[in-house]
Amino acid sequence: MREILEGCKQAIILLLSFDQEVYSIIFLSLYVSLMATFFATLLAIPVGILLGIKDFQWKNIVIRFVYTLMSLPPVIAGLVVFLLISRKGPFGFLGLVYTPTAMIIAQTCLVIPIITGIVYNGTKEKGKTVQILAKTLGADSRHTLLLLMKELRIDILTGIVTGYGRAVSEVGAVMIVGGNIKGHTRVMTTTITMLQSMGNYEMAIALGMVLLGISFTVNTILYYYQRGE
Amino acid sequence: MEIVISNLVKNYGQHRVLEIEELKIARGSFCGIMGPNGAGKSTLVKILGGLDGVTSGKIYYDGKESSGDVYQNMTVVFQKPYLLRDTVFYNIAYPLMLRKVAKKEIETRVRQLAEEMAMEDLLYRKAWTLSGGEAQKVALARALVFKPALLLLDEPTANIDPASMVVMESMIKQANAKEGTTILLVTHHIHQAKRLCGDIVFMDKGKVEEFGEMREVIFSPRNIKTKWFMEGEIII
Repeated sequence: MREILEGCKQAIILLLSFDQEVYSIIFLSLYVSLMATFFATLLAIPVGILLGIKDFQWKNIVIRFVYTLMSLPPVIAGLVVFLLISRKGPFGFLGLVYTPTAMIIAQTCLVIPIITGIVYNGTKEKGKTVQILAKTLGADSRHTLLLLMKELRIDILTGIVTGYGRAVSEVGAVMIVGGNIKGHTRVMTTTITMLQSMGNYEMAIALGMVLLGISFTVNTILYYYQRGE
Repeated sequence: MEIVISNLVKNYGQHRVLEIEELKIARGSFCGIMGPNGAGKSTLVKILGGLDGVTSGKIYYDGKESSGDVYQNMTVVFQKPYLLRDTVFYNIAYPLMLRKVAKKEIETRVRQLAEEMAMEDLLYRKAWTLSGGEAQKVALARALVFKPALLLLDEPTANIDPASMVVMESMIKQANAKEGTTILLVTHHIHQAKRLCGDIVFMDKGKVEEFGEMREVIFSPRNIKTKWFMEGEIII
């Protein structure tokens, strides 16, 4: 217990001292996770909505596949992306392995099914009703899609926040494709893992506090938004 | 808007739910659609509103077959309306925004309609805080605000209080009389049909059993099924 309290004290001092290394790790984590969430959102929202409103052959299988991927272990996502972008892989010529771009790709793969699944669930509930309403009021397909997105905004926001939470807190994928290289691909989760094995608890606790703080802030915003709605 | 239905058939799988050889609803008429449950009334409304397809047959709106332009000029109000997750004002204004009506004009028309329907105080309430009756009034206002040529109403006053019903009926009647809107009203209430409709279509098992002037169909029906239905309704 004494060790934890001492760790917390040292962590606060470290954060208040604006240690460059700590803050570069924090900013890289935020950058990688935000970009991954952004790219995943661009793809997952339309896919989730289409799954919710369109009927097609194999739909049930596609949905089960999405649900399965929602709990995809990060190390598997990391491994697959690594095999694709490693030097001998089909995209090896791009030279992406052990770069922040590779980390963004791996996290995007993790986040896409989460946002898709959550948006699909919301659309399944009221997508067709909104579509019917839009048609009865004379909306064309573009306006119908915009209306759907507006009506599903809580589900979409929940999906994005959940996806971001997943991205920022995972360690396996970024460790495999990023390599935890100091000053280059080192993010909060990989650093905490490394520091714990080294017995350097102060910085690990400091980063842990920042991770928790980010999670708390994002969820607080979502909570108030949902309450307002 | 004049509607002409010709050899309309609608099947759900092997089950035939609608079979109408010929039906002509005159432009500007107020037509009630009556019949027992499962008669195909709501299916007919959905098909006319472009919300469901036909198995075979044709529907002509002012002589034209269904197209995007036709659907721009009509709307449907259901028994359980869906209101957008926004204010009442936004809900009523939405069809006008779709039609790119100027902001000032939208403001004027929404306020005027809200005043006529005695719901000015609801304008800035969030839609999900409304009671069932209030929501139904908002749905009707949203349908009337862009002055459609055809208004399809599927039991819009079911489960609402008498005061709201009076307001809604008055607005529907006004749209028909002043704007010349063709109205098709699905109703189970014979008294409502008597108050509002000029013509009645009586349906049973997907077929039009009788179509004619309201007084004739309700008080001296030619078809025995219509007679039984009307008598049953009167007894109730």
